[in-house]
This record gives sequence, structure tokens and C-alpha cells, in this order.
Amino acid sequence: MNALEIENISKRFGDFYAVNKLSFKIPRGIIYGLLGPNGAGKTTTIRMVMNIIIPDEGSIKVLDQKMDEKMKEKVGYLPEDRGLYPKMKVGELLLFLAEIRGITGSKARKEIDLWLDRFDLSGWKKKKVEELSRGMQQKLQFIATVIHQPELFILDEPFAGLDPVNTKLIKDIMLEMKEQGRTIIFSTHRMEQVEMICDDICLINKAESVLEGNLSQIKKQYGKNTVVLDYDGDANFIKDFPEVDKIDDYGKFMEIKLKERSDPHALLPKLVGKIGINKFEIKEPTLNAIFIEKVGARDEKDTVSH
Amino acid sequence: MKKILSVIKREYIQAVRTKGFVIATILVPVLMVAVFGIPILVSLISVGDQKTIGVIDLSQGIYKAFEKRLEGHKLKDGKRRYILEKVRPSADIEELRESLRKEILDKKLSAYIFIPEDISQGGEAQYASLHTTDFEETENIKGALNSVVIEKRLRKEGLDPQKIGKYLQGVKLTAIKVTKKGEEKDTGGTFAYSYILVLTLYMSLIFYGTAIMRGALEEKTSRVVEVVLSSLKPFQLMAGKILGIGAVGFTQFSIWAVFGIFAFRYGKSKIPIGADFNIPSVPIYVFVYFIVFFLLGFFLYSTFFAAIGSMVNSEKEAQQFQTPVIMFLVVPVLLMMFVLRSPNSTLSVVLSMIPLFAPILMLMRVCVLFPPFIQVGGSIVLLILSIMFMIWLASKIYRVGILMYGKPPKLKEIAKWVKYG
Repeated sequence: MNALEIENISKRFGDFYAVNKLSFKIPRGIIYGLLGPNGAGKTTTIRMVMNIIIPDEGSIKVLDQKMDEKMKEKVGYLPEDRGLYPKMKVGELLLFLAEIRGITGSKARKEIDLWLDRFDLSGWKKKKVEELSRGMQQKLQFIATVIHQPELFILDEPFAGLDPVNTKLIKDIMLEMKEQGRTIIFSTHRMEQVEMICDDICLINKAESVLEGNLSQIKKQYGKNTVVLDYDGDANFIKDFPEVDKIDDYGKFMEIKLKERSDPHALLPKLVGKIGINKFEIKEPTLNAIFIEKVGARDEKDTVSH
Repeated sequence: MKKILSVIKREYIQAVRTKGFVIATILVPVLMVAVFGIPILVSLISVGDQKTIGVIDLSQGIYKAFEKRLEGHKLKDGKRRYILEKVRPSADIEELRESLRKEILDKKLSAYIFIPEDISQGGEAQYASLHTTDFEETENIKGALNSVVIEKRLRKEGLDPQKIGKYLQGVKLTAIKVTKKGEEKDTGGTFAYSYILVLTLYMSLIFYGTAIMRGALEEKTSRVVEVVLSSLKPFQLMAGKILGIGAVGFTQFSIWAVFGIFAFRYGKSKIPIGADFNIPSVPIYVFVYFIVFFLLGFFLYSTFFAAIGSMVNSEKEAQQFQTPVIMFLVVPVLLMMFVLRSPNSTLSVVLSMIPLFAPILMLMRVCVLFPPFIQVGGSIVLLILSIMFMIWLASKIYRVGILMYGKPPKLKEIAKWVKYG
């Protein structure tokens, strides 16, 4: 019972591999993050899942079946390039989108009113899409994704360009959908969002998967050898300690990654008296740090090999 | 199929609601009425004015006969059209002409005619007026002078002008169209309605074709296409768009046809005097073939336009790509005259069988002279085959093109799309 199974898919545009032998499985009922820097192949992967682009090789199963017309009705897709018919009235647009996904008549109308109400757009039902503000259009775009009550959501950068209020609104709906047993896959390059709501992740870089699995397990793998320090004073000397691997210094705040097998507890006594310590926390690395390490490392390797 | 219906519905409602549709639907019949109705109306209403014309007759003896001839021209209310005033020639002709010129400028005279002494020997008469663009009037005067002078010459030779007139009487020739039902007089009516029907077909193919192109382009530029394609096959979207816009065209034609029949009936009952304005009766089968060729032509050309709309990224690029397609519509219009003159020549037959030309040229042939059925049927079969091929080809191009942004594709790339699409 998987929401999505991708096996060995590849897509080439000319000589350029947009996706190269990518595989992952997503169980039902979770929130799955598809991460990666810009141009990594996230959108191409999603488009192949949606059957908009056909993969050169490999197979894709959506909700345990091959993607077809009937299946598409069970998927809610929010593309990266947002767009709606500018000249259509809001209500008509939603009705059209519901109809082409198999929901018609009074059922569709009821659903439309419900969602417009929830997003505070009821008064705009008879207005043309182009009359709406950008923020309202984004809300409308999200309604267009959920209007047919899909079992699987595929959201390409769902939070891009949203203000904090709407970000929260959409995050809440995502969690609500998860509670109802639906599956959400979303792509992003904003790590803090992933950390907050994702169960599993797949990190894609340069067309290939570089890290995949359960988020908390991944973090555990990286071990508890990161120290977060909230300090006053000049902490420059820390970087000379032999056990320090990497430092991310923000002036009053510092993330210290220690070398493997070094004891983070041993660090504290070395600092006492030299700087003012407001907080000393031993934790797993942030996803951001993992991301930069994974993506950055590959970049370095690449430059060497060239 | 249900999904295609949803797309058709959307396309139809959106298109019918636009100002362009409403304006065109109303404006075209109004323009038609204006073009055909106004001249008829004007000629019916206007009585015309009596004109006073001064005549300087140096030839002696022509004036009387000339005046008599012109008496034949009457206004609608039965009054004489031209009132002549004989001007006594004085010694100084130039001075006389100068004074007549002043009278014209003062609106006392509308014109003056100068008849030279040697008019019978080929001397040049003159007609002077404020404007010389009333060709009917100059023709009337020339005709009258002509017959008077010829009569005078004949009498001088001792011949009887009436007899000579009889001898010189021209033959009459009437064009009669032979149909299965019999024979009917044709005073250019067939030509007129063929022309109107073919031009209507030509314009609507371009109009609705470009509407499809713009629709596809709009979906692409507004980026809504990916949302739609997550629920529909590109083919369903393209087919729905073509059928929807086709239905819009059909609606517009129906409105025009209803209006046309009404205006025609009403107009005919109101214009009994328009004697030489012979309204041709258009056979029903011509309308049937018009609809058939409109639909076939529309489907054929709309696939081209849909493919173009999906390939390009802006109106400007679209215009570049649509030019060759429109050329295929212009060529048969240019060939129309040729086909009209020799509808059954080998060249006409071959040209009218080519699918891209067939909608216009075969319709033309159907109007002028019904071709052997094998040719009409053959061209329809060829059209249907090429439509099927084009739908296959265009949906492949559409599928890839609609999601491609950036530079418009080269022919080589399009070939690749078709191969892998």
C-alpha cells in the first residue's frame, strides 16, 4: 500500500539528464518532502509522476496503479508555474476544474462554496480571476488543487510567495489531510518547513537521489555531535580546537559540528570563562546543515573530477 | 469523452461571452445590409434634381433635335431631367463662355455645352460643369449628340436614319444556366453568391483558426495549462478546444443565416421596383456543401493553428508561424477567378482535390457547375484522411509544445517532438 512508487526513472533532454535512475517509495498517509537545490530535477520528477512528461525509462506507480485518466482524478497537483484562466469567473473556473476531475453538479458546487468560505474568498465567486490580488490568486490556486478531494497531493513549492498567514493556513490543511489518511508529497528548497512537517524525505541533487528515508532516522545517522551555542564575546578561538569539524558562526549564535567520535560534553569546560554562554545545546544537525553538506560535497567532488 | 465535453463547454461559453463575438455577430449583418441595402434605398428614395444646361450651338440646326433627344430623360416624378437654354452665339465666343462660366459658379446653370461648327466632321463638343464625375450625365449627353449627328450625316447622304438604325441593331445574348431542373436566366447571380459564400468561408477559417491559436497560446502564457493537463490528456484539451470554437462558429453562422433569411424575405417584399436587381435563388445543396466544407476546412486548418499556438510563446511569434498557413488559404482565393472561368479544366479539378485548397475551390466548383460526384466525394474523403493525419501530428506537437517555454522551435526540433512525443 504505497502512495507512490518510483523505480529507476530517467529523463534526458538532449544530452542533459534531468533525472537519472531515481527510485523511491512513499507509504500512504505521510507527508513526504522532495528536496534539492534549484535545477536538481524535482519538477521533472513530479511532471513524470503526473504523466505530463513521459520518462525515458523506469516505472511509476501511483496509489499502487499505473497512472491513467481515472488515477489523475485521485491526485491533486499544484504545479510550480502557477496559473489560472484570467478571464474566467472564480466559481466557473473551480467548477470546470472539478468537472475535468470527475466531480460534477451539486456535489462540486457544495465543495466550491466550502473551500471559498474557508479561504475567505466567498465574496469573489462571481469576479473574474484577473480581478483578484496576487495573494488571493494563490489561495484560489490551492483550492483548485484540493477541490476534488484527492487521495494524493503533489505540491510543487506550495509555500513559494505566500505570506505567513497563508503559509500557516496551507500548512494546517496539509496536516489535516494527513490526519484523514491522505498522502502529501511536496517539493521545496526551504529546509525549516521540511523539518517541521515532513515524515520522510528524498534529497535530489543533479538528477540523482543523494539521501532518502525517514527524516528522524536520517538525523540520527548523523549523530548527536552538533553543538548550538548562544554566546557573548569573541569566540574565534573555537575554530582552532582539534575536535571541531565545521563552524557556522552568526556573531551571537554558532552551530559547531564536531568530528566523529569526539565528545560534545568535553567542549563546554573549554569555553567557560572565556566567553559568556547563554545557551549550550547538544543536538542532531539541522536539515539545512545536512543539505549543505550533501549538496556542497557533491559539488566539490564534481569540480575535482572536471 | 465527458472531459472533452467539459472543455467544449468552457471554450464555448468563454468565447460567446467575449465582446469580439457579440460585436462581430451584430456588425456583420448590419454591414451586409448597409453594403447592399443603402445603394438600393438611395436609388429608390432620391428623385434627383432638374438641371438647367446652357447650349452654345455653332453648328446651326443641331440644337432642336438635341433638345428633343434629351427630353426622353425623365426624373422619377415624370418631370424633364434636363432643361436646355439656347445661348445666342455672339461674335466673341470666349467672352460668351466666360459669362456662362460665371453663371455656373453662381449656380444659375448647372452646366453648359459647346457644340462646334464642324461637329459633323469630327469636331469636338465640350461639356463644362462644376464637377465631371456624374458619368451618367455625360453619357446621356454624349449619346444624344451622337445620334443627332449621325442622323444628320445620314440624311445628307440621302439615307433613311430609321432604316439604317434597324440595319445596325445589335444582337442580344442572354446567359442561361442549364441545370437538371431546366434552364434559368443568370444575370450574374451565381457569380455573386459563389463569391460571397467562398469569401465567408475564407474569412471564417482564418478568424476561428486564429481564435484557437490564441486560446492555446493564452493557456500557455497564463501557465494554466499544467493544471489542466494534470487532469486531461493533451489530445482531449486540443480536441475540446477545436470542437468548442467550431461550435462557436456554427452558432455565429446560424445567427447570420436566420438574420439573412429574414432580411432577404423582408427586403424582397419591400423592393418590387428594383427590376435589374435580380436576387438569385441559391439552391439548398449549395448551403449543405457550404456547411460540409466549412466543417472539414475548419478541422483541417484548426489543427495547424492549434499546433502553432502550442509551439510559440507570444503573439508576435504566432504571427510569424501563422503566415505560411494563411498563405494556403490565400492561394485558392487567388485561383478562384480561374476556377470560375473554367471549372472543369484539368487544372481546376486537380487544384480542387488538394485537401488544403479543397474547402474553398471545391465549394466554388459546386456553386458554379456541379462537378462529377466522384470528384466531390473524393475531395471529401481526402480531406477527412488529411484531417485524421493532422490531428495525429498536431496532438504530438501540442503535447510537447504546450509545456515548452523559451525560444520557438526549429523544424528539426518539431520533427523530434513528433518522433518521440
